[in-house]
Amino acid sequence: MSDQGILSYLLITLQPDNVIACFVGAMIGTLIGVLPGLGPAAAMALVIPLTLKLGPTAGLIMLAGIYYGSMYGGSTTSILVNVPGEPASVVTTLDGYAMAKKGRAGAALAIAAIGSFVAGTISVIALQFFAPLLARTALAFGPAEYFVLTVLGVVLLSNLTGKSKIRSLIMMMAGLILSTVGMDPIGGLERFSFGIDTAQGGISFIAITTGIFGIAEVFEVMAAREKPVEILPVKFRELYPNREEIRRSVAPIARGSVLGFLIGLLPGPAATMASFASYGMERSISKHPEEFGKGAIEGVAGPEAANNAASGGAMIPLLSLGLPFTPATAVLLGGMLLHGITPGPFLLRDRPDVFWGVIGSFYLGNAMLLILNLPLVGIFAKLVRVSPRYLMPVILVLCVIGTFGDNSALFDVWVMLGAGVIGYVMRKYGYQPAPLVVGLVLGPVMERSFRQTLIISGGRIESLWEPPICMVMWGVALLAILLPMVIPPIKAGIKGRLKNKA
Amino acid sequence: MTPRKEIASSLVLILFSLTFLIYTTRYPLDDWESPGPAVFPLLLGGVLLLLAVWQLIRAFLAPRTPARGGETGSMIKAFKAFLHENRGEAKVIMLTSLLVLYILMMQWIGFFVSTFLLVIFSSRLMETKDWIRPVVLSIGVGLFCYFLFEVWLKLSFPRGILF
Repeated sequence: MSDQGILSYLLITLQPDNVIACFVGAMIGTLIGVLPGLGPAAAMALVIPLTLKLGPTAGLIMLAGIYYGSMYGGSTTSILVNVPGEPASVVTTLDGYAMAKKGRAGAALAIAAIGSFVAGTISVIALQFFAPLLARTALAFGPAEYFVLTVLGVVLLSNLTGKSKIRSLIMMMAGLILSTVGMDPIGGLERFSFGIDTAQGGISFIAITTGIFGIAEVFEVMAAREKPVEILPVKFRELYPNREEIRRSVAPIARGSVLGFLIGLLPGPAATMASFASYGMERSISKHPEEFGKGAIEGVAGPEAANNAASGGAMIPLLSLGLPFTPATAVLLGGMLLHGITPGPFLLRDRPDVFWGVIGSFYLGNAMLLILNLPLVGIFAKLVRVSPRYLMPVILVLCVIGTFGDNSALFDVWVMLGAGVIGYVMRKYGYQPAPLVVGLVLGPVMERSFRQTLIISGGRIESLWEPPICMVMWGVALLAILLPMVIPPIKAGIKGRLKNKA
Repeated sequence: MTPRKEIASSLVLILFSLTFLIYTTRYPLDDWESPGPAVFPLLLGGVLLLLAVWQLIRAFLAPRTPARGGETGSMIKAFKAFLHENRGEAKVIMLTSLLVLYILMMQWIGFFVSTFLLVIFSSRLMETKDWIRPVVLSIGVGLFCYFLFEVWLKLSFPRGILF
């Protein structure tokens, strides 16, 4: 495709409908990032039925806006209230809140917003080059490669999500099992629908996501005691970081952008991992590591850049392979399928308008978020004060409408409630919902590719590992399983020897 | 997570995976050349069962923290601690019951009337002190939903005898 072609597709973003969708998405995302109660995945699931009225390009631009907007919003509350709006902003509380206590809240917010903008833009440029490249490579993928890729995703995710690997794997299996409800993807036989008409087409993705993220969160807030929130004041004139702060932020933003983008390509909670990895890196290479945790600007600039770059990086496996490795991209994939768009290697060939329109919206969205976040930061921060007793009933109603609106089926609302209750109990027992959602989305691809491989090869099970790409991926999966088992005893052994020598 | 919780959740998972595996046998397995619709669910159920058993064994092997105090005293203390830890659950159960009632009522009195009531009662359940604010909130939410979803987005919600 010529550069002129790409440019004309990128300009699709600037059509009035798409600009409005981008603005609304970024705005909702920022609010979601600020407000406790709903994460980006649940918010996107709720908005999907609304986006169906907008058409695929505008609808997906809005969903993507929510995704990266929430990353921006999360940092505001981390800095001003010491409450991370979403997990990727946890690390920002360490130095961001410390800066705010020193009276540099404005500078921390500005650096966070600028860092996010720069990283978001760098990741979009990289996305523009890497996604088509990977899509072209993926054209050579057969069902065996797709099967191994999904297995690799499951293995890597279990290493990276939550505290317990077994519980992550259990949740992933639960998601994969749920994905088998409805028509069998090869023969068309109805499975596990128990004669319920609505379940014949499969269990509603939106109902499950809304239940285990939205309803379960409402239950959790309800069970916990409300704590008063203290917001540190910020004045508009304080929003300008001084020369020293800017000088100290440039390199961490650059490093955070590259690191975040690369981590975004991996399966797992990319944004959260990227922010922690960047914080660790900045502290280890800093000349003043003792300042970290006490208000070091590098501890805000690096992680904020990294988590935004990771959000862009995570779009590559989604758009070019059709495989989501985070809950939010899993919901985005669900949205794409409902819009009749199949992400994967053929997306670029069949729907370049959607592909480049969405990528173009990232540029626009990042600029909008910068403009939105700097002057409106005080207003967004005040939203944290909205009492859950008013917010939670509204979230409940939105969850019901979002779920019902998908298929106009009351059965889905029951599924949502069931998923909410089970999701709440699971959280209490230490099972995180994110791997379940990814399993739910990966399930049909995994089953189809597994059975197709066996059918094509005439029942030869070896065909699942014979192709060279498959061998490499099995190798990586094996390493991902073995290394966490082998490394700790080796480390303990080395430490023991060093102690004995001392 | 405490070993007791881990054992309880593992047992539930084992029971679930066994039920799932037994139910899956209703569907044809066919052969490796053309695997049937039962193959993939059977594999998943098997892996889930193995993981749950593995977790159960680990929980049994985990070192236990010795109980402090006398038998009877610790039992009473443990029960009190359990009640204290789970004092928020009563509200969760009440909200779940409210939602069940809401979904059942939706077909009878309609979406908008039942939603109006849901917002008021769920807000009261969250310790709102008066009735006025929940009612105002409920009217606001109802109007917003009606104009955005029904008038503008043309979604049709269940209608009841009232509205």
